[in-house]
Amino acid sequence: MTGKMNAKMTAGIRGGLILAVALLIAIVLSLMIGQIRLSASDLWTGLLTGKGPGALTLRVLRGPGVVTAIGAGAALGASGAIFQILLRNPLAAPDVMGFTSGAGLAVVCGVLAGTSLPMPLLSAAGGLAAACAVAILAIKRDGSQVPITLILVGLGIGFLTTAGNSFIVTRLPPEQAAEAQRWLTGSLAARDWGHAAQVFGCGAVLAVILAIQVRSLGLLELGDDLATGLGLKSNRARLKLAGTGVLLAAAGVAVAGPVPFIALMAGPLGMRITGATQPGGRIVSAAVTGAIITVLADLAARSIVPGLQLPAGVMTGIFGAPYLLWLLSREMEAGDI
Amino acid sequence: MRAMAVAFLALVLAAVLTLTVGVREGGFALLWQALTAFDPSDPAHIAVLSIRMPRLIAGLIAGAALGMAGTIMQAITRNPLADPGILGINAGAAFAVVIGSLIAGRADNGLMAALAFPGAAGAAVAVFALGGGLKGDAGPVRLTLAGVALSAMLLSFVSAIILARNEALEVFRFWVTGSLAQAGMRPLGYMAVAAVFGTALAITIAPRIEALSLGSALARGLGTKPGRIQLGALVAVTALTGAAVGVAGPVAFLGLLVPRLARRVGGHVLRRELIASAVLGAAILLFADTIGRIVIPPTEIRVGTMTALIGAPMFIWMARRLRAGASA
Repeated sequence: MTGKMNAKMTAGIRGGLILAVALLIAIVLSLMIGQIRLSASDLWTGLLTGKGPGALTLRVLRGPGVVTAIGAGAALGASGAIFQILLRNPLAAPDVMGFTSGAGLAVVCGVLAGTSLPMPLLSAAGGLAAACAVAILAIKRDGSQVPITLILVGLGIGFLTTAGNSFIVTRLPPEQAAEAQRWLTGSLAARDWGHAAQVFGCGAVLAVILAIQVRSLGLLELGDDLATGLGLKSNRARLKLAGTGVLLAAAGVAVAGPVPFIALMAGPLGMRITGATQPGGRIVSAAVTGAIITVLADLAARSIVPGLQLPAGVMTGIFGAPYLLWLLSREMEAGDI
Repeated sequence: MRAMAVAFLALVLAAVLTLTVGVREGGFALLWQALTAFDPSDPAHIAVLSIRMPRLIAGLIAGAALGMAGTIMQAITRNPLADPGILGINAGAAFAVVIGSLIAGRADNGLMAALAFPGAAGAAVAVFALGGGLKGDAGPVRLTLAGVALSAMLLSFVSAIILARNEALEVFRFWVTGSLAQAGMRPLGYMAVAAVFGTALAITIAPRIEALSLGSALARGLGTKPGRIQLGALVAVTALTGAAVGVAGPVAFLGLLVPRLARRVGGHVLRRELIASAVLGAAILLFADTIGRIVIPPTEIRVGTMTALIGAPMFIWMARRLRAGASA
C-alpha cells in the first residue's frame, strides 16, 4: 500500500517537474523569439544588469505580454478543471459552454457604452450572466438537469453571445471595430504591466477562495449522498464552486479576451502529465498547463507570419478544435455520449 | 396549399423590400421605373439595378440553397440540430476558397469560389466520420459537437489567413460570418447553376431519402440502396451549400430554422418540404438582410449575424427538447 502510494507520489512529482520545466521553456522561448530575435545570454544580461536589449524586452516589449499570458492561461485552465470535475464531463469547459464569450460580450458592450467600470467587473458580470442563463435554460420540464443538456444549451448561449459580439462590432467605427474583432478572437498583443498585475491580483484572490472550497469539491466527487452524509450542503457548495469557476474564467477574459479551448484542453492534458487524481492536484496542473498553452499560442501567433501579430485565439482555435474532435471520438468509444 | 401560397407571398414581399428599402429612400415607384423605363443616366436607377439586384439574386440563391440543404441533412441524419453552418460544412467551403486564393497568390476573384464545392464535400464527409455518422445513426450531440469543433478550426484558419493578408474588415466579415453586402462581386451565375443542379438532384432523390428514413433494412426491402442515396444526398448538400457560401459566405442557422417551418407548410412529404424550404429560406434570408440594413443606420448588420441572432435561441429551445435517449 505505502509502496504504491510512494510510486504515485514520485510520478506526481515527476509530472509536476515536467510541467514546471515546460512552462520555463515556453517563457524563455516566448521572450527570445519575435520581430527581433534575442539570445538567451542577452536575456540573462538584461535580467541581471537591467541594461541592453534584453532588459528592454523584459521590461517593455515582451515581458508584460508573457506574464499576462501566464496569468490568463492559469485562470482559464483552473476554471476549466473546476467545471470538468463538477460536471464529471471533459467537455464541460467555460469556453464550450459560452461563459467566456458572455464575458467578452459584456466587456465590448461596456466599451461601446463608454462606461468607466473596470474590465474585470464587466467581464465577471457577463460571465455570471451567461452561466446563469445556461444553468436555468438547461433545467428540463421535469426539473432535472443533465450535463449533456447543459453543454448543448451552453453551445447555444455561445452562438448567441458570439452573434451579439459581431452585432456590437458592426456598431463601432472601422479602426475600433478591427481592434475589437481581434480582442474577441482572444489576443495578448500590446499588454502592459497593468494587465499582468490585474490578472494576477484577481487570480490570487480567487485562488485563496478556491483553496477553501477544494475540500467540498473532493466531497462532491464522492456523490451527493455521501457528501451530504459527511455534512456538506451539496447544492450550495456546487453553486459556490461554479461561481468561483466563472469568476476565474472572467479574470482571464478581462486581460486576454475570450481565447477559445484553453480551459477545455488544460485540465485533461495536465492530468495526463501529472497523473493527479485529487481535485486540488488536478486544478493546479490544469492551471500550469493552461499557462503553457497560452504562452505558446501567443508565441506562435506572433511569429508564424513575419512582421505580423495574429490574435492568439486563432492559434488555440486551430489546435484546440482537433483536440475537441479527438476527445469526442474517445468519449464515443467509451459510450459516454 | 394555402400555407404554400402564404410562404410564396412572403417571398415576393421580401424581394420587393430588398429592392426598395434602404438608406437612400427610393420606394416602390423608383423600382418600377428602373425596371420598366430604365434611364442609364439616373444614379438612382443604377443603384437599384447594380447594387440591389445582385443582392436580391444572391439572397435568393443562398436562402433557398441553405434552406433545402438543412432539410436534406435533417431528413438523412434524423437530427433536428443539423444545419450546414453548425455542422461545419459552410466553414469547409469558406476555408477551401480562402486557402485557394492564398495559394494562387491573389485575392479571391470569384472564380476561386468553385473551390467551395470540394471544401463543402470534404467537411461534410469529415463531420460525419468524426461525429460517428459512419457507424450507424449519428446522435445529435456528437454530430453537433463534431461540427462545432470542425467549424471552429476551419474558421480560425480563415481568420488567420485574412488577418495575415491584412485584408479589409469587410472581407473578414464575408468569410467568417456571411454577408450579402458584397453580392455584386460574387459569381452569381455559376453559383445559380450549381444551386439549380443541387435542387434538381434533391427533388429527384427525395422519395428515396424518405424510404431511407424508415430505417436502412426496410429501405433495402423497398429496393433502395442506402449507400447510393446517402451519396446522392451528399452531392446535393455539397452543391447547395457550396453555392450559398460562394455568394453569401458561411451564413449559419438558416438550415436549422427553415426545415421546421417547411414541415408545417409542406406537410410531411419531403418533396413538398423541399420546395417550401427553398421559398421560406429565401424569404427569411431576405427579410433578415433587410432588417439588418435598416435597424441601425448608417451601419448595416451582416445577414450572417442576423440569422445567428434568430437561430441561436432556436438552437437552445431545440436542445432543451431533445430527449435524453436521443442524445446517445
